[in-house]
Amino acid sequence: MSSAPTKRHVPLLLGYKKSKAMVRGKDKKVSLNLTSMIDMFTILVVFLIKSYSAEGQIVTVSDALTLPESRSQLQIELNLDIVVTNDAIVVDGEPIVAVDEEVLREANPIPVLVERLSDHLEYTRLMRGNTDEEEMKVNIQGDVAVQAILLQRVMSSCAQAGYATQNLTVIKVLEGGDEE
Amino acid sequence: MAQPASGRSHRVRHAPELDLLPVMNLFCVIIPFLLLSASFLEISIIEMAPTEGISASGAGTTSLAQSEEQQLQPKVILTDESMFLSTVFRTNPISDVFMESRDGQMVPAYDLDVLSEALAGFRDELEEAFPSIPVRKITILTTDKVRYDNIVAVIDVCAEHGFDQPGLQVAAYSVIQRGIAAGGGGGAQ
Repeated sequence: MSSAPTKRHVPLLLGYKKSKAMVRGKDKKVSLNLTSMIDMFTILVVFLIKSYSAEGQIVTVSDALTLPESRSQLQIELNLDIVVTNDAIVVDGEPIVAVDEEVLREANPIPVLVERLSDHLEYTRLMRGNTDEEEMKVNIQGDVAVQAILLQRVMSSCAQAGYATQNLTVIKVLEGGDEE
Repeated sequence: MAQPASGRSHRVRHAPELDLLPVMNLFCVIIPFLLLSASFLEISIIEMAPTEGISASGAGTTSLAQSEEQQLQPKVILTDESMFLSTVFRTNPISDVFMESRDGQMVPAYDLDVLSEALAGFRDELEEAFPSIPVRKITILTTDKVRYDNIVAVIDVCAEHGFDQPGLQVAAYSVIQRGIAAGGGGGAQ
């Protein structure tokens, strides 16, 4: 008893025409060699896993400055950011002081900066009820070419406003001097 | 068809091919994720000790050192011309400023290797003379125009020798010169 051909065995060739090249190649299956690409991807994945950071970057470094390099291993904390360049002093993204000859001539705290920092500290105190030691810290992002007098004025302004701990933000480098 | 004399079939056996497409798919998902969370620039901090305010005349170095540690703390003095190390024992010139190319421009720099040797020597002397007093504080006393990157480089060298609580003081050149001549480097003692 002959059974009717199943649907699976019926070749579906409607509208299908073999090209001459396929006929010449006798339907050879062309496969892409992925081994070299897998090799490359493996190297890439290993490199990316090495530079993977679960904590993320909590500080945005301004484009207007180049941070100095250091071998310090201290982890950065999320504090008030003060950016110091040869053009301006910026607190929390807001330009406060334009740096000119007069600013570089004196060595005392900068009154405008002290006022702005005091306001910020007062605001933090009002918002949180009290301020602990952690909130009395600032991160100073200074350009490599900033003069010592400007840095010292910013630091003494911070101290006068009540920010007892001042951290200098730097780019971490390895012992040999290579950036991490 | 006639078979070979051995009677064995000489059909070439191909090794089974590994299906790499799922691996490729996995990589295509992992790589963008890792690229997004990779940090190629790691940021750290240097914690500074509270600074002393100095007036324009350099006379405002208040709250002079009181504790034994503060009395023993060394001072690295950076001027526009040279570098000194002032300690409880003596004040020594370390090196003269030389010009160095950084990012395509010539900037003043200090010989940090010599400073490292001097600090190592001072650390040995300290441990011999005052073994019970741990000294970790150091003052970086500079003139107005010393570059920030030079200060950070000096702080790094100091930290290598255990002086990892740096403070920054700035004074006029004349004040520092007077201090060096007096053997203390000016500023707080």
